[in-house]
Amino acid sequence: MTTVQSGSRTTVNVNGTTVEMYSGGSGPPLVFFHGAGGSNGWLPWHEDLAEEYTVFVPSQPGFNGTEAPAWVKTIGDVAHFNHMFIDALGLQDIVLVGSSMGGWVSAEMAAMDDHNIDALVLVDAAGIKPRESDIAEIFMVSSETRLKQRFYDPGQVENYENYTRELSPEEQLVVHSNAIMASQLCWKPYLHNPSLPYTLSRVETPTFIVWGNQDAIIPVECGHLFQQAIQGSQLRVIDNCGHSPAVEKRGEFVAAVTGFLNSL
Amino acid sequence: MAHELEVFWFSEQPYGHVTESDLEPYESGRMHFPNTHFDPEKAHVLYGNYHDQYQLADEVGFDGIMSNEHHSSYWCMKPSVNVDAAVITQRTKKAKIAMLGNVIAVNDPVKMAEEIAMLDCISGGRIISGFVRGTAVETLHAGYPPTENRPRFEEAHDLIVKCWTQPGPFRWDGEYWPHRMVNPWVVPIQKPHPPVWFPGTGSPESVIWAARHRYPYMNLGSLLDLTKQLKGIYHETAAEEGYEAGPEHFGYLIRCLVADTDEKAQEIGRTFLWTENHRNRGPMEFNDPPGYQSREALRIKMSRPLIGTGTMGRRMTYEDLQAAYNIIVGSPETVTEKLRHIRKDLEPGYILIYGNEGHMPHEDVMRSVELLGTKVIPALKEG
Repeated sequence: MTTVQSGSRTTVNVNGTTVEMYSGGSGPPLVFFHGAGGSNGWLPWHEDLAEEYTVFVPSQPGFNGTEAPAWVKTIGDVAHFNHMFIDALGLQDIVLVGSSMGGWVSAEMAAMDDHNIDALVLVDAAGIKPRESDIAEIFMVSSETRLKQRFYDPGQVENYENYTRELSPEEQLVVHSNAIMASQLCWKPYLHNPSLPYTLSRVETPTFIVWGNQDAIIPVECGHLFQQAIQGSQLRVIDNCGHSPAVEKRGEFVAAVTGFLNSL
Repeated sequence: MAHELEVFWFSEQPYGHVTESDLEPYESGRMHFPNTHFDPEKAHVLYGNYHDQYQLADEVGFDGIMSNEHHSSYWCMKPSVNVDAAVITQRTKKAKIAMLGNVIAVNDPVKMAEEIAMLDCISGGRIISGFVRGTAVETLHAGYPPTENRPRFEEAHDLIVKCWTQPGPFRWDGEYWPHRMVNPWVVPIQKPHPPVWFPGTGSPESVIWAARHRYPYMNLGSLLDLTKQLKGIYHETAAEEGYEAGPEHFGYLIRCLVADTDEKAQEIGRTFLWTENHRNRGPMEFNDPPGYQSREALRIKMSRPLIGTGTMGRRMTYEDLQAAYNIIVGSPETVTEKLRHIRKDLEPGYILIYGNEGHMPHEDVMRSVELLGTKVIPALKEG
């Protein structure tokens, strides 16, 4: 693998609100929005994509110790805020990647205004209510249960011990405040927006949907529903994989995403 | 004028037919425990017993009766404190009626204001209107997001007080309950409005909120060390607000049973442990889902390290709990002496007697009410 510059931490001022951000690599801009657990910073799969893209990994408002502006109370508000974030960085023609709750936010952003989005990648995204089953309970369960829900096979997860180690009091406070913000944004309606399947019909940007076949939090059925909602979108289901394909099946995930982006 | 001690009778009105083996298969004793274990015919008998206890408490000299409300709970058959208070208005003549209280964050505040005002009128001004956030389960039961509990509580409080104190009609530009017109016909008999109490167990945020509003804070049976610290926070906050807090700002709930002999009381009192294993069982996230405690509450908690703990999460035996003055059982003499200790230690203006539990026999509880009213309370008031 060629050596690229590792992601460095910085902060961005978005209309008076501080956003924590990691960025690295070179090439066209690619922005990734994290899930309900908050940003895990610069990860190996970001490094992979940074070979061809300038990768931006921001925290969303209220996550990772940042304060959300008082008006940010819903996922729709977060989507508006994230548009402001992209404006603040002056980014043009971005690749927008979102996972889980971040996938929901990214889908809302595209439905609002996709003229600045060259490609959209949704990974095990929340936002659409399944018809055949339910989105799993993520708030009123223990952290052990949540971890079991997330991965299909912990043996496939690099540095799995990072997910099970004892956290420092500072880290615990961040985890707890991330959970409060996620609870604020996702409790009701639970991890979906009933209008989203309809507002997504306006999206014209090329869209790639990636799903872990054994996702125990947001069932793969939702991947099919996203594909039906977004015209011309492609769905790639990764087998033997849970809710976080970028972590659990990193090689397959990165190859699928870069393959799609290179085909445009 | 110095505040004189007031003693209140309280019963959670448990559905005492539930046993450990009924509860064993389920993840928690609340939302998971099926209501097929509830028999309305048995409840009919129990409600009657509990109302007889209210009447006797009033007759033998309790200053007041406290009631409360819980949902999806086998240990409290009261899903509406206002309904129970309505019964108390009819079964008692003199006693104050302390509702502790209405879960105002998850109810229509205008209707709450009307119902409490109606109770105040019916009772001739005997109502003390406690407002509570409820446990997280109350919020889940009502179907509201846990993050909304605190802001909804604040708005409901402000709107209820306005209904009681400002002539209608008026407009309410609230976030959760916006109204173009508010004009409840029934207003309270007590002016400017019935006294408001606020309860808590271990949260400093609750104490600070009560002290800022000058509302008496009722500690619901935390251990004495923790309770003293929380009381200290009340005094500090009162000083910041420019007033001096006294016994009239502070009450303490204590599990207590009196019998003719210490031996008999020890035997009956063991039932106070009826819910210990199941009351808060289940994942911590279930009883305290993310967002139920605000970030500010977390910050306050971290900035004020409290020594000691509540009784939750800590296994204490019947004997431990008695040694810690968390359960008081005995003859009238024994109980008087122990309550004197609490009075000296905490200087509460109000002692709230949590007087029965589980399947305690009705006749034993009635005898306890009688002994408390005729012997313990007069002795306690003498000093």
